[in-house]
Amino acid sequence: MIDFEYVTAADLDSAVRAGSTTAARFVAGGTTLIDLMKLDVERPARVVDLNPLVRRDASLASVSDLPNGGLRLGGLAHMSDVAWDTRVRERYPLVSQSLLLAASGQVRNMATMGGNVLQRTRCVYFRDTASACNKRAPGSGCSGIRGFNRQHAILGTSEHCIATHPSDFAVALAALDATVRVRGVHGDRTLPFSTLHVLPGAHPERETVLAPGDVITGFDLPAISFARRSMYLKVRDRASFAFALAAAAVALDVQNGTVRDARVALGGIATKPWRSREAEHALIGKPASAATFRAAANAALAGAKPHKDNAFKVELAKRTLVRALTEVSA
Amino acid sequence: MGQQPPDFTLVTAAGESRRLSEFRGSPLLLVFHPPGWDPARQAHVDAYNRLIAHLPGVAAARLVSVGGDGPWRSLAFGDDDVSIPVLDGEASAARAFGVEGEAAVFVIDADGLVRWRHVGDPLDDVTLGRSISAAIAPVSARGQWSRREFVATVLGAAITLTLEPKFARAERAAAVMTSTARDVTLNVNGRDVALTLEPRVTLLDALREYAALTGTKKGCDHGQCGACTVHVDGRRTLSCLTLAMMQQGKRITTIEGLAEGDELHPMQQAFITHDGFQCGYCTSGQIMSATAMLAEPWGPNDDDVREAMSGNICRCGAYVGIVAAIQDVRQRRASQ
Repeated sequence: MIDFEYVTAADLDSAVRAGSTTAARFVAGGTTLIDLMKLDVERPARVVDLNPLVRRDASLASVSDLPNGGLRLGGLAHMSDVAWDTRVRERYPLVSQSLLLAASGQVRNMATMGGNVLQRTRCVYFRDTASACNKRAPGSGCSGIRGFNRQHAILGTSEHCIATHPSDFAVALAALDATVRVRGVHGDRTLPFSTLHVLPGAHPERETVLAPGDVITGFDLPAISFARRSMYLKVRDRASFAFALAAAAVALDVQNGTVRDARVALGGIATKPWRSREAEHALIGKPASAATFRAAANAALAGAKPHKDNAFKVELAKRTLVRALTEVSA
Repeated sequence: MGQQPPDFTLVTAAGESRRLSEFRGSPLLLVFHPPGWDPARQAHVDAYNRLIAHLPGVAAARLVSVGGDGPWRSLAFGDDDVSIPVLDGEASAARAFGVEGEAAVFVIDADGLVRWRHVGDPLDDVTLGRSISAAIAPVSARGQWSRREFVATVLGAAITLTLEPKFARAERAAAVMTSTARDVTLNVNGRDVALTLEPRVTLLDALREYAALTGTKKGCDHGQCGACTVHVDGRRTLSCLTLAMMQQGKRITTIEGLAEGDELHPMQQAFITHDGFQCGYCTSGQIMSATAMLAEPWGPNDDDVREAMSGNICRCGAYVGIVAAIQDVRQRRASQ
């Protein structure tokens, strides 16, 4: 790890200012940043520690009720605290599950909400500084497209990058279309979660619409009554502590055997947290049946572009989605 | 005996001046060798190993060779290398102690009093070992030396004028420090530990390399194995993925802080009872994770334990014993 300047800020605005250069990185849990700094993938000149801000404003790290029945998750709240929160478990099971099925008990005690959705891909070529990677070193090429790409994405890829977005929690937020709360150099703003991440296109080094200095202060989960009937289903190579090969976050509003409303997002197979409006359209107004669920899965994966080693993900993702829909409607 | 030694100034390898009296609070060895003495000679290496044989709790260490030249000497132990400072040209100190031109050993206890001295004749390994042992014993909790205390202290004694382990480490760190280094106080196992660290020093490295708490292990160093697990404010945390600077003001507990004096924590005892380890390398992380995990809202079943403990990898595959140990502790608590 190269040396750097370690900075703590007295308040949020000072942190934003300290972090508003491209050579700066914010640190909260550190579980992504410190890891990548050891690999020389991240080489910040300055690291701004956000954790002391919680002493001034505890809401940054807590779960709080919103007047409309929704919940606000503080940007510095830890994965474990949110996952075990009774309100989250009752009202948004998919959020709690997405968090508990991710990482390990230790990592969940460290990693935060904001850091989780901003975590970098686990693409082995991104993490290996000897490989070409347009995301790490723009213009250097993509070692994954013709390399070992079993873990890579089949949706949202480009000829420059096929790296998978690794977060589980972000997939749940995509399904709910949470609101992202941001403090930046120009003050506070909010944006829909679906617009936070961008597709790799010709610039895979750019992963979100956030600018230097932007701090995610929280996520507002909308009041969606049927989110109580939701789940996050994750399929991976081992039973625990592994990234998803395919995952589905679903919430269904089924009345009298008919799907009245639906939320569907997929993980482990796309370059960003993948809301599937195609699947939702295929579900809404249809009977909650195996045929409907399969049709929704086909719609969700219609645009899939598999590579040499990951064609299995197309069918795996479909079955994962069908199983999640089946379980949540049972 | 029991006298205050003459005070004098040491100019260390890093060019820093320190007075002998500044080291009060830690046992100290002063060893004087006559001019021309070479620590790398095989006869001396053999002498160290004979000395080692008489010391308690350090049976695993065997010095293979002494390398290097100038202010740093590298001590090779087969599986570990340690550098310690060698301070040449302290004739004035030898004069102050009245041993100029002679071989001599002084053992100074934590109160700064000379407990034992030997001047002149070739050193008697047995006598030296016993006296050092008696003077240094309070350094470690149960009167046994840790491997590192032993390495830096006893072998330092055998080489030349040298100081207790924290000093050796501090000097090593000073050699590579940049202007970003700053003073940090960490609360570890209920005690404040003052360290000077660069920002890039992880909590794990601060504990092991600077605070001499080597019970916390470095496995993968990337958050994937759990060997480095400690408690921060009671929650299990990967010390390899957090910076020491980020942990100021927090309560850090390591495996060294789990037992109550000589009484093992119930989880430590349960790991022994249920054979929850083989090689032992992951064990401190397993135990720290296990104790914290029981305070988390997991279910009571074996599968819950396996899921909760999935961040701790055991290459030996002692998982059956680990699950049994955790369940044993849980059930004992439930029945109390």
